[in-house]
Amino acid sequence: MHSVSDPRPGRGRTAVRTARVVGLVALVALVAAFPSLAPDSFILSVGVVIASYAVLATSWNFVGGFTGYISLGHAAYSGLGGYATALLILRADVNPWLALALGGLIVAALAVPIGIASLRVRGASFVIVSIALVLILLLVFQSWGSFTGGSNGLRVPRPFGDDVLRPEQHERFFYLHAALLAVLLLCWWAIDRSRFGMGLKAIREDEDKAQSLGVPTFAYKLVVFVVSAFFTAIGGGMYALWFGYLDPIFQFSILVGSYMVLMSLLGGIRSLFGPLLGAVIVGYAMEFFKAQYGDTQAHLIAMGALLALVVLFMPDGIIPALGNLVNRFRPKAASIRELTAEELTVQREQQEVRG
Amino acid sequence: MAAEGEYLLELTDIEAGYGRAALVLRGLTVRVPPASVVCLVGPNGAGKSTVLKVASGMLTPRSGRITVCGRDVTRLGPQQMLRAGLSHVLQGHSVFKEMTVSENVLLGAYTIRDRAEIAERVDFVKTLFPVVAERWGALAGALSGGQQKQVEFARSLMVSPRVVLLDEPSMGLDPKATATVFEQVVRMRDAGTAVLLVEQNARRALETADLGCVLDLGRVHISGPAPDLLADPKLGELYLGSGTSTAGS
Repeated sequence: MHSVSDPRPGRGRTAVRTARVVGLVALVALVAAFPSLAPDSFILSVGVVIASYAVLATSWNFVGGFTGYISLGHAAYSGLGGYATALLILRADVNPWLALALGGLIVAALAVPIGIASLRVRGASFVIVSIALVLILLLVFQSWGSFTGGSNGLRVPRPFGDDVLRPEQHERFFYLHAALLAVLLLCWWAIDRSRFGMGLKAIREDEDKAQSLGVPTFAYKLVVFVVSAFFTAIGGGMYALWFGYLDPIFQFSILVGSYMVLMSLLGGIRSLFGPLLGAVIVGYAMEFFKAQYGDTQAHLIAMGALLALVVLFMPDGIIPALGNLVNRFRPKAASIRELTAEELTVQREQQEVRG
Repeated sequence: MAAEGEYLLELTDIEAGYGRAALVLRGLTVRVPPASVVCLVGPNGAGKSTVLKVASGMLTPRSGRITVCGRDVTRLGPQQMLRAGLSHVLQGHSVFKEMTVSENVLLGAYTIRDRAEIAERVDFVKTLFPVVAERWGALAGALSGGQQKQVEFARSLMVSPRVVLLDEPSMGLDPKATATVFEQVVRMRDAGTAVLLVEQNARRALETADLGCVLDLGRVHISGPAPDLLADPKLGELYLGSGTSTAGS
């Protein structure tokens, strides 16, 4: 028997589960079919860009979504991941895929001292520290021309060789990004349901209170920060292998970090698929504005307007807003009227007699 | 009162204050016997909440001694105090509003690794607080004030504390919710957990408590069995609101 006040009686809960499974299967089918459905190479490349954004935003969401620490400087880790991969290939002649993995590990190792230093502060101070890191790295990578290529940039050899044509390159990288995204989503989902995730969410809600309950707050923040940096670096490395060229001004741009935040906020930072949905919307919108208005700054104005709309009308993001809408049609939750233990017991007994 | 050495929690000659400011507690001594409700009442600024902060390790006393079952815990921090058996329910609402009731309650057992023990404690608090069982999957922020307070009580009991420190549990609640909260305080005591209760609603708190301490200027002014304090006409006039036997209830 279902409790009188259970807001999700069994039939409703089964329907929600079925809808989720159907949605997931449809999403996987759409992703699998996209390269065949794409009418030309350009649309396919837009798909790769959006998949890359989805990887970066979901990676950002490990730290932003679970702990509530807003990092505007996550481009530091994607940029470092891209350069680490490229430099390992070019300077140490490492296999591209091994370089990608090693690049992620190097960035994760670097994220440990960065996290120890930056996670001591909260709120606006943390945001400023995260931005400062990107600006420092931009200066370093621009100035150290003999090693990084400086302002001239760095050409990254293509891993599949030059005989693989561009559309096929796009298709392979689209699937690679999709596979990486699947791994990220699986990790996020697993953490969300774990004891570790519960501790992280408590930090997001109230760090001091979480600490008083025995949650090792600093260690947890550091672990999830390093995990986030690792995946962001892998995303940056994958992009470098696909795009074939790195320029510090774009790799270490505050805008890239801001896009990760915007995408996650738009979709909903507390939901698994929020950053993915945000990446699809923002990524498509950016490519659309670039195609429509050329090399102007119109897409930036559009992104700013989008961010303002999200903050004003959907502060929790699209997925939570849709969830609230669905909840309106569900059976109402129990009254929050105060009941004594005796009243509650009587109410239960009456329900059992009826049921 | 229990004899010397039989107390679960003893705060002896405690002096404490915030930063460099003047002392708030000036040689305060409070003792909590097993399975009892001890109530601290007194005017604003008497130091009632500060007693709980000292007892839970949130504020280190400048002098004095704190013992739990005879063990000296004077300089321990909040997490060690929790392990020592002191669980603090803060003033106001301190549930994690965006988390479910189940997550809130399980966070109370975060220091426990044994799953069987956690399951046992969950069953215990669900029985003690039916509303917790009733709203197990709901968001804590969607509950009423009184229900949220019960979730906090349940969370505080997950570590099987020896003493629960309750700071103004009726704050901001309507009379019916207040009645429910005090009913749960009695149930906690009956289940074997001692309670050190700080409450502005002095008459209602003394009606619930076994022992009472009236604080003034950081010291225990009068202490004794709660019914005796309630019956004292002078005390009633000074601290409980003269003559209104139903005040605050």
